Amino acid sequence: MEPNAAARKESDSLALVAQYSGSLAVVFSLAAACRAILPQTGYLFSALMFLMAIVLAGTRWHRGPVILMAILSALTWNFVFLQPQFTFLIQNPGDLAIFALFFIVALSMGHLTSNLRQREDALERHHRERESLLAERHRANLLAESERLHRTLLDSVSHELKTPITIIRTALDGLASPNPYTAEITTATRRLQHIVDNFLGMTRVEADALRPNLNWEELHDVIRAATTPLEEEFRSRPLLISGLDSLPLLKLDSRLLAQALSNILHNAASYSPQGSPVEISAAFLANFLEISVRDHGQGIPDGAENAVFDKFYRGPDVHAGGTGLGLAIARGLVRSMKGDISARNHPDGGACFTIRLPAQAAPLST
Amino acid sequence: MNKVVIIDDEPQVRRLLSMVLKSRNYEVHEAEDGPSGLQHIALLRPDAVLLDLGLPAMDGLSVLKRLREWSEVPVLILSVRDEEALKVEALEAGADDYVTKPFGTAELLARLAVIQRRRFTRQNPEITAGNLTLNLLHHEASLAGDRLKLTPTEFSLLHTLAEHAGRIVTFGQIIRRVWPAQLSDQSEALRVHISHLRRKLGTTGPQIINEPAIGYRLIDS
Repeated sequence: MEPNAAARKESDSLALVAQYSGSLAVVFSLAAACRAILPQTGYLFSALMFLMAIVLAGTRWHRGPVILMAILSALTWNFVFLQPQFTFLIQNPGDLAIFALFFIVALSMGHLTSNLRQREDALERHHRERESLLAERHRANLLAESERLHRTLLDSVSHELKTPITIIRTALDGLASPNPYTAEITTATRRLQHIVDNFLGMTRVEADALRPNLNWEELHDVIRAATTPLEEEFRSRPLLISGLDSLPLLKLDSRLLAQALSNILHNAASYSPQGSPVEISAAFLANFLEISVRDHGQGIPDGAENAVFDKFYRGPDVHAGGTGLGLAIARGLVRSMKGDISARNHPDGGACFTIRLPAQAAPLST
Repeated sequence: MNKVVIIDDEPQVRRLLSMVLKSRNYEVHEAEDGPSGLQHIALLRPDAVLLDLGLPAMDGLSVLKRLREWSEVPVLILSVRDEEALKVEALEAGADDYVTKPFGTAELLARLAVIQRRRFTRQNPEITAGNLTLNLLHHEASLAGDRLKLTPTEFSLLHTLAEHAGRIVTFGQIIRRVWPAQLSDQSEALRVHISHLRRKLGTTGPQIINEPAIGYRLIDS
């Protein structure tokens, strides 16, 4: 839009210069022509000719050149054609009226045309806006359509992958008698479900299909939602939660945040020894929510503080059954909420992951 | 014997659910799509319906809406994850609860039992959920015999949750019940009152569980 407007302005001022010189040229050539035929026509005819030229110019030109033309025409007519010739005297009241008429015509023509031009401009602007709006809508439609397709595909793949897992789980639940073989299948099914969840999660994050849905939430609820699916992992690891009581209600997407937190907690459980605690702490400061998860494992290898969030990154002493996607998904989820995650080693050992998220706090306090 | 109709397009899921339910003494009827499911329900008058949301052709939500035009039978939704908006829509269209695939059998059976408990004509003005008792006549609540001091809003909120004890109630359903005349968004007020209620119920009473993006569930522990 900007360069366009500048170009328009420049061409406008060029046109204005052309019109000013045009008005000079028209007045003098008209004066010369009328002067030549003055004996046959009389001075009133020349006044009409000038007026006609002003009217014609008025339909096309800007107000400035038209008024200049009116002034020049009036003066020229008065000076050249009106008795006494070659003076600016006007003796006859009728001639004075004609003299005034030049200005009246020029001004009213100018007024009419500028109105007309404004209306034209408005129409054109309206037209342009409409077109850009239509183009915008078309683009949005295309985007929505491709998003919808993507989602449909994802949903059907997700359905296809989850149905067999549901069947296996239900069937396993049906095998009532405790049997070492079923225990193995149960573990493997859990693992498979975790992998499927991670792959689908990564696809969702990469498809940019996450639309945060903000609601007033207690962080307490978010942490509960994050830890419920990890009951198994935290059966042998105490979860120590602190800092929640001083938090206000926060406007956030509890589902996305719980999922991100859940992945970080799953990671903490995978890389720390059985029986060691995992600590969650939270604080709200200057419109940012900070949640830290600290484990008592080996910590992050030096220099890998960023790499741990890369897709398929695996720690050096890898546990079987990981996909290397959990933290990448967590980061994607948090970023979709305009926040970020960082990782560092705690000075007293163990890894510490921190989610930092902009969030609105409720004016009502709990 | 309780009759259940399962509407799911996956034959294996139907077969397995049917096996599980039969082992718990349910009489089970299967339908593979919405129209035949509706026919089964009209004919058999079951005590509960298991309805898959992701049916082909006539989707689960449409089946539910059609069903609710003439039947109050308890409906348990079978859904997959990341369908929260759809679940809320189904719950507000009259579904009684949901389980998310892949679900455990114990969870399914528990939900199924709870939703069948709900249709009763209340003769006495008391609701109990675990050690919580609500007296609707005097607008009094007590926890393990001790009187709870509740504001009228808290009482109304607890009433709504206790009436559906064990079942999910969506945020929208709660807000429409507790603040029927309010047009402005009450979700913040809801969270605040829930937090107060939780404090008053403590750890010994029933717990109010939040299900992200869906609603609250009162669990009597």
